[in-house]
Amino acid sequence: MDRPEGKTGIIGWGVYIPRYRLKASDIAKLWGFDPTTPSSLGIHEKAVAAVDEDSITMGWYAASSAIKRAGIKPEKIEAVFVGSESKPYAVKPSGTVIGDALGVSRKRLTTDLEFACRAGSEAVRLVVSLVSSGTIGYGLAIGSDTAQANPGDVLEFTASSGAAAFVIGPAEDAAARFEAVVTYVTDTPDFWRREGSKYPMHGEGFTGEPAYFHHITSSVNLLMEETGLRPEDFDYAVFHQPNGKYPLRVASKLGIPKEKVLPGLVTPWIGNTYNASALIGLSKVLEEAKPGQRILVAPFGSGAGSDAMSLIVTDKASARVNEAPTVEDFLSRKTYIDYAEYAKSRHIIWRNWG
Amino acid sequence: MGKVFVAGVGMTKVGRIFNKGYKELAMEAVDKALNDAGIAVSEVDYLVVSSAFSDSLLNQVDISSILAQEMGIDVPAISVNTGESSGVAALEAALNAVRAGKSNTALIIGVEKLSEFPSAKINSSFSHVLDYEIEGIRGIAPINYAALLLKEYMKRYGVKRDDIFQWAIEMHKRAEKNPYAYLRFALDLDKARNSQVISSPLTLYDVAPLADGAAAAVLVNEDLQTTIRTQPVEIVATASATAPPIYLRNDMLDMLATKKALERLRTTVKFKMGKDIALQVHDSFSIYGFLALEELGVCGRGEGVKAIGDLQYLNVGGGLKARGHPVGASSLYALDETVLLMRDSFSGLRYDGDAALIHSISGAENNAWLALLKR
Repeated sequence: MDRPEGKTGIIGWGVYIPRYRLKASDIAKLWGFDPTTPSSLGIHEKAVAAVDEDSITMGWYAASSAIKRAGIKPEKIEAVFVGSESKPYAVKPSGTVIGDALGVSRKRLTTDLEFACRAGSEAVRLVVSLVSSGTIGYGLAIGSDTAQANPGDVLEFTASSGAAAFVIGPAEDAAARFEAVVTYVTDTPDFWRREGSKYPMHGEGFTGEPAYFHHITSSVNLLMEETGLRPEDFDYAVFHQPNGKYPLRVASKLGIPKEKVLPGLVTPWIGNTYNASALIGLSKVLEEAKPGQRILVAPFGSGAGSDAMSLIVTDKASARVNEAPTVEDFLSRKTYIDYAEYAKSRHIIWRNWG
Repeated sequence: MGKVFVAGVGMTKVGRIFNKGYKELAMEAVDKALNDAGIAVSEVDYLVVSSAFSDSLLNQVDISSILAQEMGIDVPAISVNTGESSGVAALEAALNAVRAGKSNTALIIGVEKLSEFPSAKINSSFSHVLDYEIEGIRGIAPINYAALLLKEYMKRYGVKRDDIFQWAIEMHKRAEKNPYAYLRFALDLDKARNSQVISSPLTLYDVAPLADGAAAAVLVNEDLQTTIRTQPVEIVATASATAPPIYLRNDMLDMLATKKALERLRTTVKFKMGKDIALQVHDSFSIYGFLALEELGVCGRGEGVKAIGDLQYLNVGGGLKARGHPVGASSLYALDETVLLMRDSFSGLRYDGDAALIHSISGAENNAWLALLKR
C-alpha cells in the first residue's frame, strides 16, 4: 500500500549550533559530582547559546540554511511550525517572527508546538501531512531549544542549545524522501516543567526504561511492523540523544549495530539540544549518506512519545551539502567558556534590570 | 511453649517497579506465600506488616489495616517499624502472637515502594532512620557513618580498599542465581573499583541499592504444621537489642546491638556459629557485612575479607547489596530465601546444616534483630 508520506521528502535541511562550549568536567567540579559522572553519561561538552541568542534566533538561522539548501524562494513556503520547550515568549508565536524574518509567504500556517523534545519531530509530521494532502506545496519544520536545567542537577551536564530545520516538499525534488512515518504516544510523566517554574523536573531512572526506551522501541517496532522493514535494511539510525549512552543502548535493544548510530550521534560534543537533538543527528547523516541509503530516525519527547521515520536518500542530497554551513562546520567551530560565562549567558544569575 | 513454623513464603522481584503500586506488590507476595502454604486467605487470623517508609513516602499511616482491607479480612492487623530491620521485628510480632495462642495462622508482609520519588527524597527519608534531631538536621546519613567505619576498619586491620570490593563481588555472584534479585549481573574488581565515589571511600558498589519489593511469609502453630504441604521450617527464636548511637561508643567498630542480641539469643537457644551455617547478614553497606560476620563470631576481627570466599551459605540471595534493599521488606526476603534454602529449593544450593541465622540492623546499628531457624 502506498503511504501518503511517500509523496514527500526533505528538500533542504539546516542546523545551528552556538559557538560556545562548556566542558562537562567543569560542571562536575563546580557542583562536586564524581569526576566519572560525565563519562557515565557519555558527554564531553555542551553547546551554550550566547547571551543574545534564543530559540527564535537559532531557529531562524537553521531555517535560512534549510531554505538555501532547498533552493526555493521563501515565498513558496506555506507553513512554519516551531517545536520548542524554551520559547522566548510564553505567549507570542516564535513561528511568526521566524517566518517574517525569512520572508516566508504570509499566506501560511504558523504555530509553535510543545511536546518536550519531540515537538520539532511532530512539526515534521504535520508538514509531511500537509504536503502529502496537497494543502501546501512546501513547509518548514523547525526544532530549536535553549534547554534549561536546574543548576547542580544531573540534567545540567547535557541540557544545551541548538536548532535544526527542514524544508519539506514534494518527493520528486527531495534530498531524502520519506518512506514511512509512525508515532507512538502515551501518558508517561518522566519529565516536566510546571507553569511558572524556571527549571524542569525529571523522574531520574524513570526517564529511561518506561519512557525513552519503551517509546522508541515501540515506535520503531511499529514502523517495522507496518512496513515489513527489518533493522538490517537501514544504513543509518538516529535516535533522540538525551546523553551519549541511551542512543547506543536503544540501538542494541533493537538489534542495530552501533556503527550505524555513531555517524549521527552528536550529543557527546554539543549536549542534548532537545527539539534539535535527533534532527541535528539526521542532518549530519544527510551530509554523508549516499543515494539509495535508508535512514531510521526516531526522536523522543518526554510525556511521552516517539516518532519513527524511514527516509531514503536521493541523488539530489550531495549537491546541496555545501550550500550552507554543515553540521561538521558547527561541530568544529567552538570557543570554550567557563561556568561563570555559561551562567551569565543562560540567565542563571539573577540580577535587577534597571 | 508451642513450636511455630514457616508454612509458606512469597517474594516479588526486587527493583524499580514502575508499573505496580505497593498494594499490588504486597498482594503478589501474599498470593505466592498462601499458595506456597496451601492456605486460603480466609484462614489467616493475624496480620503483621513491615514497611519502613509507608508514612513518609506512600502517605500511608496504618498500612496494616489498609492491606487487611485490600485482602478482605477482618483480623487483628498491626504495623511494625524498626527501620531497616522491620522485617525481623515483624517476624517476632507474628511469632509471639502464634506462641501466645492469639493466632494459628499469621501472615507477615514486608513491603516497600520507593521508586515513586526522586532519589533526593528517598535518600532524605532513608537518613531518618538515624536520630533526626541530632544527626538528621546536621545532614548526617547512614552512608556517612559507613564511610567512617570503612576508613577505620581498613586502617586498623590493614585491609586494602580493593579487598572490601570482595563483598560486592561475592554478593553479585549469588544474586545472579536469584530470580528475585535486583542486580543480577556479575561484578569484577575493575568495574567496582572504577564506580562512582558516593561517600569517600565508599563507592557505588559498596552500597546496597534501595529498591521496591514485597516479601510475605505465613507462620503456623504446631497443630497446623502437619496439614501444610511444604517442608516446615521452624522459627526457633528471635532476639534483639538497641544500642547507644555510634558517636557514643567506645569503639565505633563494635556492633553493640548485634552483640547484645546475640547474647540474648544464646540464652534461649543453643546453636553453633561457624563458616558452614546458613547466615543472612545485613549489608546495607559492604563494611557492615564484614563487621557483622566478625561480631557474630563467624571469623575473627579484621578477617572478614579472608573468610568470605569460604562462606557458601552466606546471603544466598545476594544480600541487600545485590538482591537489593526494599527496606522494610529486606529481612523478610532474607527469611524467605533461607526457608527455601532449608527446603533445598533455592539457587540450586543444597544445605545440610539444620540451623540458619538471620541478622538485621537499622541505621548505624541503632538496633539489631536476629532470628534462628531450624528444620
